[in-house]
Amino acid sequence: MTEKKRPLLDELKKGKWPSFVTEMEKSAATKPAVNTLLNLVERSFEEKRVHWKHGGIVGVRGYGGGVIGRYCDLPEEYPEVAEFHTIRVNQPSGWFYDSKAIRSLCDVWEKHGSGLTNMHGATGDAILLGTTTPHLQDCFNDLSDAGFDLGGSGSNLRTPSACCGPARCEYACFDTLDLCHHVTNKYQNELHRPMWPYKFKIKISGCPNDCTSSIARADLSIIGTWRDRIRVNQKAVAEYVDGGLPIKSAVLDYCPTKCISFDKEKKEINIDNENCTRCMHCISVMPKALRVGKEKGATLLLGGKATIVQSAFLGWVIKPFIKLDKEDGYQELHDLLEKIWEWWDENAKVRERIGELIYRKGMGEFLKATDLEPVPQMVHHPRANPYFFWYPEDFAAEKEAKEAKKEVAGSEVSE
Amino acid sequence: MADFTPEELRAKILEYLGKKDKAKNRDIATAFDTSKKEVDKMVNEMAKEGILEFLYLGTSYVKLKDKE
Repeated sequence: MTEKKRPLLDELKKGKWPSFVTEMEKSAATKPAVNTLLNLVERSFEEKRVHWKHGGIVGVRGYGGGVIGRYCDLPEEYPEVAEFHTIRVNQPSGWFYDSKAIRSLCDVWEKHGSGLTNMHGATGDAILLGTTTPHLQDCFNDLSDAGFDLGGSGSNLRTPSACCGPARCEYACFDTLDLCHHVTNKYQNELHRPMWPYKFKIKISGCPNDCTSSIARADLSIIGTWRDRIRVNQKAVAEYVDGGLPIKSAVLDYCPTKCISFDKEKKEINIDNENCTRCMHCISVMPKALRVGKEKGATLLLGGKATIVQSAFLGWVIKPFIKLDKEDGYQELHDLLEKIWEWWDENAKVRERIGELIYRKGMGEFLKATDLEPVPQMVHHPRANPYFFWYPEDFAAEKEAKEAKKEVAGSEVSE
Repeated sequence: MADFTPEELRAKILEYLGKKDKAKNRDIATAFDTSKKEVDKMVNEMAKEGILEFLYLGTSYVKLKDKE
């Protein structure tokens, strides 16, 4: 068989960085489907259109999610990839594997699929790319035997994900790994059984640096924070200054609330903690001099999402501080989460995310339904909060004043 | 919104699914003007007992086990 030329893909092999084309070509030596896939990708580049479509519903016994059906729209021309389903495998908390676990995952995929993986997808799962319908159940059985489970897809709870947390990061304000593991185990039903209006994502970051980018990508962001004072080591501050750190331009100017001042003579900084928003920029620039406070917990934000019904939203603070208590099984978080889900499930339209429902119904209704106290952190500045609708009666006084002014102006002209 | 005892709700679900091939939990809740949360809870319980089974056709449906 003559090798098909793929000039456009060849361009993607150039340069010093690893190339997915090179890696796929290596895999194609043992997996003919991968060679066909490369030819299909080349054709897509030539025609500037993709050749994938949604087809029938595929899955494994007892699960409503975790497998995403992928079908080629040119099955006669590309029979090896006519079915090329994706499997989402629930990743371990913080994406920590040992080498044995990775080998077993890869062995299962070599046996049942194309061998191509995406470690990890934007969802957080280990993504296994490309298998056929007859292989799905056996692949799932082998994954289960190796200790893995499927992740979420469809209108259900998506696989929760967490940053590496206290396992590798001194900034972690709580045990992100434990919380992620706990939430995943507690909500197995919600993860595997699509029963909601649409998807719901939970991402967990141990500190305001938000390494999982939860604020933009999760319906519920859990972001570590503290409520006492930033701990300052003034000796280390002086060492940064002596070492040439431009404190004003690198730290002070970036402070969003301008709550830090610097005493040049003493080489000391002072933080007005009452006005600090816990953005953590100063701590990230001077980690040897500044540390997060001692009274740690998390901020909860709700409603982050990409564009579908409404435009993209960033998560909105619904609880500025919550103590995440391992001892009582994170009960406060679960109570709130279940109230949120109940309200959303009862009120949302099909394919309406929680942020969009709050946008449609108003923050007031959401707060009432979930027994949350309104707090200043929910408002950016008056009348600029996209989650709050001002009703016509709110403007009655304003309207009356305007009309009175008009009348006065009119009478002045006529005089 | 109607408030049923667990026994009443269980009987109503059985009766409803007896007349249908399959149904979504939301449809069951709407039919009895009750909360979906309560229906979800009862359906899960009945599925665990082997009385109902789930069907996944894009979203989740329930049916009486072994009903053709």
